[in-house]
Formats: sequence, C-alpha cells, structure tokens
Amino acid sequence: MDHAAIFQPLRLGPTLTVKNRILRSSTGGRWDNYDGSGTPTRISWDLKTARGGVGAIISSHAPVQARGRLLPGYATIDHDDRVPFWRELVRRVHEHDCKYVIQLAHAGRERIIGGFEFAKGLSSTDKPEPMNGFQCERMTGPQIREVIAAFAVGARREQEAGADGVELAGANGVLFTQFLSSAINDRKDEYGGSLENRARFSLDVVRAVRAEVGRDFFVGFKISLREHLREILPWLRDGNSLDESIQVCQWLEEAGVDAIHVSAGGEFPHPRNPAGEFPARDVVRTYDGLISNGLYTFRNFLIFRTWPLSALWKWHWEKPAHDGREGINLADARALKGAVSIPVLCTGGFQTASVIAGAIERGDLDAVTIARPLIANPDLVRWFERGHDQAPRPCTYCNKCLFAFVENPLGCYDERRYETREDMIREILSVYQSAA
Amino acid sequence: MSVFDPIRFRSLEVKNRVFRSSLAGRFNNYDGTGTQIHVNWDLKFARGGVGAIISSNAPVHPRGLIVPNYAHIDADETVPFWRELVRRVHEHDCRYIVQLAFSGRQRDLGGIQFEQGWSSTDKPEPIHGLRCERMSLTDIREVVNAFAQGARRAREAGADGIEIHGCNGYLITQFLSPAINDRKDDYGGSLENRARFALDIVDAIRAEVGRDYHLQFKITAIDYGRDLFPWLGKGTELDESTQVCKWLEQAGVDAIHVSLGNTFPHPRNPAGGFPVEDVVRGYDTMISSGTHTFRNYLIFRLWPLNRLFKRVWEKPARKAGIEGIGLGAARAVKEAVSVPVLVTGGFQTRSVVEAAIERGECDAVTIGRPLIANPNLVELWRQGHDAPPNPCTYSNKCLINQLENPLGCYEESRFDSHEEMVREILSVYDPPAYS
Repeated sequence: MDHAAIFQPLRLGPTLTVKNRILRSSTGGRWDNYDGSGTPTRISWDLKTARGGVGAIISSHAPVQARGRLLPGYATIDHDDRVPFWRELVRRVHEHDCKYVIQLAHAGRERIIGGFEFAKGLSSTDKPEPMNGFQCERMTGPQIREVIAAFAVGARREQEAGADGVELAGANGVLFTQFLSSAINDRKDEYGGSLENRARFSLDVVRAVRAEVGRDFFVGFKISLREHLREILPWLRDGNSLDESIQVCQWLEEAGVDAIHVSAGGEFPHPRNPAGEFPARDVVRTYDGLISNGLYTFRNFLIFRTWPLSALWKWHWEKPAHDGREGINLADARALKGAVSIPVLCTGGFQTASVIAGAIERGDLDAVTIARPLIANPDLVRWFERGHDQAPRPCTYCNKCLFAFVENPLGCYDERRYETREDMIREILSVYQSAA
Repeated sequence: MSVFDPIRFRSLEVKNRVFRSSLAGRFNNYDGTGTQIHVNWDLKFARGGVGAIISSNAPVHPRGLIVPNYAHIDADETVPFWRELVRRVHEHDCRYIVQLAFSGRQRDLGGIQFEQGWSSTDKPEPIHGLRCERMSLTDIREVVNAFAQGARRAREAGADGIEIHGCNGYLITQFLSPAINDRKDDYGGSLENRARFALDIVDAIRAEVGRDYHLQFKITAIDYGRDLFPWLGKGTELDESTQVCKWLEQAGVDAIHVSLGNTFPHPRNPAGGFPVEDVVRGYDTMISSGTHTFRNYLIFRLWPLNRLFKRVWEKPARKAGIEGIGLGAARAVKEAVSVPVLVTGGFQTRSVVEAAIERGECDAVTIGRPLIANPNLVELWRQGHDAPPNPCTYSNKCLINQLENPLGCYEESRFDSHEEMVREILSVYDPPAYS
C-alpha cells in the first residue's frame, strides 16, 4: 500500500492502540437536545466517519457543566444521566473497529450561543471576549475548584461509558486557553501572572482527572501552540508564544498527559483554525442569530453585510492562511515533537496522503486529526487505502460548513462539490436517517 | 353546562370541552423526523386532562415548513413516529388530532431546502418581507394531493382526526384572503375562486380517507389586515368567512375552529403583550429570512420606535380584551353552520368558557398559551379553581422564545426563581431518548 506510514498502528498511552494515523478531530453539529441529552442523530453523524475508516474519533466537545456549553444542541457529560447515551454511541462506533475518545470541554466565556439559563459565562477574567463581546464573570477560587471537579467527574463518567479515553479541550479560546493565555488571563492570584500560574488550572485538571480515572485510561490535551490573537484584531495582545506553549506541554506530560493535540489560535474560529475562506454571504445568513449574544456582534453583523467592509474583513481574515491551508500547523508540531516524548497529534486541513505520510516519516507528528475534509469525504481513509493521494472531490476549505452549523445541519455546503443542489441537500440531511 | 360534558362530532367523541390548540417548539429534527421530546411535550397536556390535543403544525410537504424542527407528515416514513405519539397520548384517555399545514410564504425560517416559499401571489409577506413564488396550477395540484396524503398518513398512524390549518396567514389564508390573493385564474378573484383551494383540499382528503374520519378546518374568521399596518388591505370579513364555512360544511367538514388574523403572529392571535426585550433577543435569527427583517430588528432595538411598535401591537387586544377575543367571530360562525364550532383565544377561566358555551357562542375551546403556563389547567378546574392560581399573563414571551430556545413559559414573574423557570422549561427533555 502506498503511504504505508498512515496505516501503522499508533500507541496512545498505556492501553490505547489506534489502527492507523488518522483521527477524526472534534466535529459535530447541533444534533442533540437543548438540555444536552444525546440523540440518534449524533450517533448517525459519528458513524459516518467510523465507517469511513478513521482509526479513532474524537467526539464533539462535551461540556462538563451546563454553563460551560459553547452553544446548545451538543451532548453534554454534566451529570450521570448522560452516561447511557455515550455508552450507546461508543458501542456503535466500536462495531466499526474504531476507537472513541471523548473531548471534555468548558467554554468559559466563549459561548457562541449562551442560551437562556445563564446570562454570562465563567472565565479567568471578567473582560468580554474581544471578537464578539461575549460577557463573563471572573471565577472565584470555589468556582475554579468546582470546574476542576466537573472535569474529573466527567472523565470518570466517560470511562464508565466505555470510551477509550478523553481529550481535554484546551485549545481555540475555550476556558483552558483563557487561563493559559497571557493575552486573556489578567488574574492576580495563583492562577494568573507567571506562565506557571497560568498553567496551574490545566495541570490541576489533569491531576484531578488522573486521580479519578487511574493511570491506564488515555488522557490527551489539545492546545493552541500559538494564539495569534493579533491576526483577528490588530490591537489585541498576541498571546502565548510557541516557547511558552511547549513549556506547558512538558508540564502536561509530567502531570500524566498521554498525547498532545496541536491546534492554533486563541479564539474560535480563527484565521488559522479552520484555515481557509471567509464565506461572507453565508456568514450574513447565520451570524444574525448571534447578534443578541455579544456586545460587538451587531457591529460585526453590520461589517459582514456591508460592502466594502465585508470584502476588507474577508481579505484580512484570509491573509494568515494564504501560505498554505493543509498542514498549517506542521512547523509548530515539529517543534513540539522535539520537546516531548509523548505522541503529538496535529490538526489543520489534512487530506492528502503523501502530505500526511511525509509528515509522519519526517517525525513532525505521530498522527493527524481531521475535521473539514472528513465532512466533505467521510470515507477519506478508504480513498487512501485504495491508493488515492486525495479524494476525487477534496474539501475546498471554503468554510461554509463552519458558518452553516449554527443555524443549519452541519455538512458540506460547497455546492461546487455536488452535481446539483438537490444532491447537496440530500447528502446533508442523510445524517437524520436513523442510526438504529 | 359543564366544561366536563363530552362533545360529539360526526365521527369523534371527546371527553370534555377543552382542546389543546396547535403548539409546539422546535423539538424535532431539522428534516422533520420526530423525536422523543415531541412525545414528552404532548404528554404534558394529555396528563393534564385536556380532551384532545391538536398537534403542532405538521407540514404535508417539505416546502411547507414554517420553521425547521417541527414534525412533518410529508412522507410515509413519518407514520411510525406519529403512531407512537398517538399511542402514548391515548394512554391518557385523550384524543389526538393531527394538524395538516402548509406555510406558503410565511416561512419564518425557511431552511436550506427551498430558497422561497409558495403562495397564491408572488408578493412578499408584508411584516418580514418573506419572499415567495406564485404557485402554478401544477403546484396547486401537488399541494392539494400532499394534504390528502398527509390525511391518509394521519389515519394510518391511528390519529383520531385531522385539522386543516387554514388560518393565521399560512397558505390557505393566502388563497382565501382578498388582501393577499391577487390571482387572475380560477383560484383568485371572487370569493368562490379564493375558496376553491381550501375546498379542493377538503374534497381530496375526503376522497382519500372517506367520509367517516374526523376532519375539522381552522379558519381566520376576520383578517384584521390593518391592525398593524394601516396601509394594507383589510382582508376577509365575517360575511365572507361564514360563507366559506358553509361551503366547507357542505364539502364534508365536521367542525370549524375559529381564529383571527391574517398573519402569524398577529395582534389578536396570540393577543397580548409585545415583550420588547425578548423580541430583540429572539428576532435576530430571522434577520436573514426576509427583506424587512433588518428594518424590523432596528425598530425593535431602538427606543422610542420599539415603544411605539409595542403600543400599536398591543392596542387591538387591549380594546377587545384577551380572554375570549375570538368569541364574537365564533358566534357568527356558529349561526352560519350546524357543525360544532371550536374557538381559540386566551381561555383559562372555567366560568368564561362555560358561559360562552351556554350562550351558544362555541361548543368547545382550544387553548395555547394558558396550557403552556399550566398544562394541568383542566385538572385545576376539576379541583374547583375557576382560574388557575398562577395564571398565564399573556406576555407572549413563550412565542418569542421558541425560535431560539425550548418552548415553555418564560414569564419569570410566574416562578419563584430563574432556576425554577429553567428547570420547568427543560423538563420537556425528560425522559431522554437514552436512559
């Protein structure tokens, strides 16, 4: 088989072996109920990629607290009643010889749609999120301890559900980033200030999770090695440097993390994650639903809908990724790989077998995680198995999927990839065909 | 006369005079497949003692949705869901009537499948500027047939009857109303022509399900087309709508359900408050739906425009009274037909309902918002309350929240705390699909 490196099994932690080097990165639409109870639709969604041959699936972000939701419609793991859903999901994915790792998350202030239950999110700071103006409350000591405990209990629940491991969602501007980031964290206590202090929250969570699940259960950590916040708004502070993040990863390894998953950007979305186009027209159609969520969302909506501001914003957004969308984080992953001894996973537009195999062979990373190209081609690995370097209709990085999912079912909305618009609709709605 | 007296239709008997009117949140899948949550929702009312439940609007065609995430009845594959729902509701000695619907141009969130809705006209809906395509005769036949197939599916699912959603500005109103219908063919112009579409649907349904299946028709008795924008046409008035009801009766309709207003929402349906803050929070998601939505959003956001709008919106109901606002129209319909007449409009006081039935203004009432506030309203009446101790305030916050949030009572003053309100609203998700 060509590109044999892709099909070498990978050991992740003491007990988890993944059959190949392709993992589905955390992706999921608003398939579940508002309250966080799971539905057959999420099972159906995950089974698409399990059937397609990926070695493991990292679940959609699973909030460990209702207040830590990024937006409603995602299955949570915030109480014991949620376990039966995850157990069923894991069981169904396992039928396809695919591992299942559940991503434990807390949005902090990054609540794209906050919902009606809590007016504000929690964060390291009380300053609103800078792009949309999502408001938040600075966490007190007891609140920090409560969230740490919620992660630990969440991990234990997923262990009970039969998952093969958990990944802590530490990247892309959610709560972990809000503590780690020198640009966001403005605390004066032991959770802010020095890098050691900013990393304390993440390390506390890792240790609490380990205490709950033992040494044998896979625990990964996803991190934005560079935040690049100035690429969103030039007047912000840029955030953590690569050196700082690598130091954090070394501490995480010491604390018992089994793998690091590399991403970029101290916000989500970010010009580097998912790197690609800013589909202005699609954004106008779905961003409207966010207007009531933030202090700056109405301003943004006006920018997105008004020419030439929209064109200017599009140019600004797309600039950082112009030097390459596939493998945009490879250099950062390579730097990390030289500094830690645990496996390094890396995300960023991968969909070409030679690119992936080359990165593994060069030792830039141990495996790739894929989101958008698997939305476009859930059977991508099957194409690789048959010797194709790419799927015949690759992902175009148009990012329409990203902007559709707030209001519409997640799927590939790039009409150019289909024969007809009806084909596209059929493909998108196919997720509702029962998983039963 | 008691609200607990049974009511007999030609092919259906219901144990009391209280029907849950059509209402539901976005509890189902985007593609219209049903979920456990929808079952949970309807069971709240079945347990609470209503005699019958009229389902949420069930689109008979994918292009006929009003917003996504309502349960459709547009394919044979939908039948098992409805069958299970009906079976569960029947366990509570409660009848189940499926409301067959087609939005027409009034698609608040049109979804990804069809860029524009269908209508009698090609003029956009006037409040939000929701655009539409004028239906060809082929399109009309397709929709008429879709209603008939929907009726057949409801019967196959074991439902006790069907209701044609002919009111509140949706497709059938778009044909009936002289303020909307501007066609020059057999389906526009004279009252007879404007009523042709509704009567075609009734005929097609009867041909499909037979004469012995309960079929009721919900109609806007008075359009009140100028309540909101005085420059619009007045629309249908009582003399015309009662004539249509007579034709419907002749065509084999077993009951008429009276409502008001040729848009939805409308100042008279659901009559009550215009909760500005909730509107600003909930309306944003509609901005991309229409050509006037951005203008409206600015009005709702900006003082004093929003106060002015609120006054205009709330005025008709303030003058007419909220509870029983449809009774005058219902009386006129009742005089015109001999089949039973149901009426909706804020009912939550037992003595008001009983007096209306005794005076012969209606035979039963259908209830929306007050049952959201008190799903056990009938039980409370049975216990001796004339009005519920913690009544619906008609704030309409439920209505505005349902686009983005789970349907429920969002009137915080009715709860001891915000947390209690949240708990009550989210109780619809219990039990979950996996347990």
